[in-house]
Amino acid sequence: MSGLLEITNLTAGYGRIDVLHDLTMTIGAHGNVGLFGPNGHGKTTLLRAISGLVKARSGSIRFGGADIANQTPRSIVGLGLVHSSQGNRLFPDLTIGECLALGAYTPRARAQEEANRERALKIFPKLGERWNQKVRTLSGGERQMVSIGTALMSNPAMLILDEPTLGLAPKVKEELCRAVLDISAGGIPLVVVEQDVEFLLELSQHLYLVNHGQVAAEIKPGQTMGHADIMALYFGQ
Amino acid sequence: MDAALQILFGGLFQGSLFAMMAVGLALIWTTIGVFNFSHGVMMMLGAYVAWQLSAWSIPLFIVLPATMLIMAGVGWLLQASVVRPLIGRPNIVLVVVITTLAAASLVENGVLEIWGPRSKQLPTLIEGNTQILGVGVSMHQIAIILITPVILGALWLFLNRTRLGLALRAVAQNEDASLLVGLNVTALYGLAFAIAAALAALAGIFMGGYRFMSPVMGADPLLKALIVVVFGGLSSISGPIFAAYLIGFFEAICSYYFGLYWTPALLFAVLILMLMIKPEGLFGAKTRGLA
Repeated sequence: MSGLLEITNLTAGYGRIDVLHDLTMTIGAHGNVGLFGPNGHGKTTLLRAISGLVKARSGSIRFGGADIANQTPRSIVGLGLVHSSQGNRLFPDLTIGECLALGAYTPRARAQEEANRERALKIFPKLGERWNQKVRTLSGGERQMVSIGTALMSNPAMLILDEPTLGLAPKVKEELCRAVLDISAGGIPLVVVEQDVEFLLELSQHLYLVNHGQVAAEIKPGQTMGHADIMALYFGQ
Repeated sequence: MDAALQILFGGLFQGSLFAMMAVGLALIWTTIGVFNFSHGVMMMLGAYVAWQLSAWSIPLFIVLPATMLIMAGVGWLLQASVVRPLIGRPNIVLVVVITTLAAASLVENGVLEIWGPRSKQLPTLIEGNTQILGVGVSMHQIAIILITPVILGALWLFLNRTRLGLALRAVAQNEDASLLVGLNVTALYGLAFAIAAALAALAGIFMGGYRFMSPVMGADPLLKALIVVVFGGLSSISGPIFAAYLIGFFEAICSYYFGLYWTPALLFAVLILMLMIKPEGLFGAKTRGLA
């Protein structure tokens, strides 16, 4: 079952507080996966547990057959499971070129550096124009592009995006959404957290609603889902 | 003419020593965000290790790299023992001040125990004196003035032109994002300490060649290095380097015109003034980050 990300009975959290409770989901069986749900209910914690930034207290996370729960982030990136960090922070004093070079740090990614750079620049031509500009001087949308571009440099077998359009102006948001669709069309399976469910529906037919640190609903391909249904999921019938 | 030359040489010489020390402090601050109060004893220990190796009649050109290598290992150990276990604590800056001070005290007394209190001196890098435009200078000082920019230049190239150097600068700016691109953050922390200790050891060898060594010889250079990094700002590696030479010249001028007695007081007066006018340092931005 290569390329499949299976999370079973995952419990994780910070300090004395559990954020995820016994969460189970399968990612990759039906193409891209979209995660949505109210803020503060564990979406980001889930992504951080997958990429090794947060310890899994119990349960298992398997990627392509290997158990990756509580592995170091470094070995998880090394397997090709790449988590694009939220772009607003990134590396403020590095240039775009340096960020992308850093993305190709793992041996697995270094072998493909040329091809990955070409791909990243094709999706985000703006990055090429501003190659020597420091990240701190970029706009929010451009930082997000650097962030996703850096993740592409890590040669992802599966790419995790945490709210790629958070806080962006509509026009920039449009541009990023198109880029994310391009990446998906290029053959990289995506896991995307996004508040904009319309965008998620365009990207994926397999959605999970995460609420109170658990999967509150799963929408599989073939199950149609309208605006009203989503509102009902959020707010109750 | 005589005065100008003397100040020039004095400034370059002092500046070189300060720069060699300050760069290590800045490197550790920018990568890990802690102040290493063991930096002075790393310098002292470096000088003693070099002295011991020389006492076994190993030639100087082997003693230099061997000492730096040994001290890089010591720096790594220091990091692993008193810094790494504390990373993630909310009050890490203060805690590490205390643990590194404790380590400094241990090393200082350890050296006293092993090598005794009698003053020692290292061989000079190059023997003899020379006359430059009528001013007598020791070849040792000239060697230091010439070697330091080469080493600092190499460090700058390493940080700015290699992937490993890029990784060191990145860790300083965002630890989570560094983890997500696959950097080995703990190893990079160790590397920062190793480089800093090796450079401090080199400064110790420089110093041991023209002044008597003692277990407390690192205290004053540490203080000066602290002044330099505060003065130069900690946002980059080049800020402290420029500041080191500025302060070196300032000291040379002060001790020429006002005497050694007044120099520290004047130095601190300038530092206090600096903190009042531009607290982020002469070349500093307000955030932490390297090169």
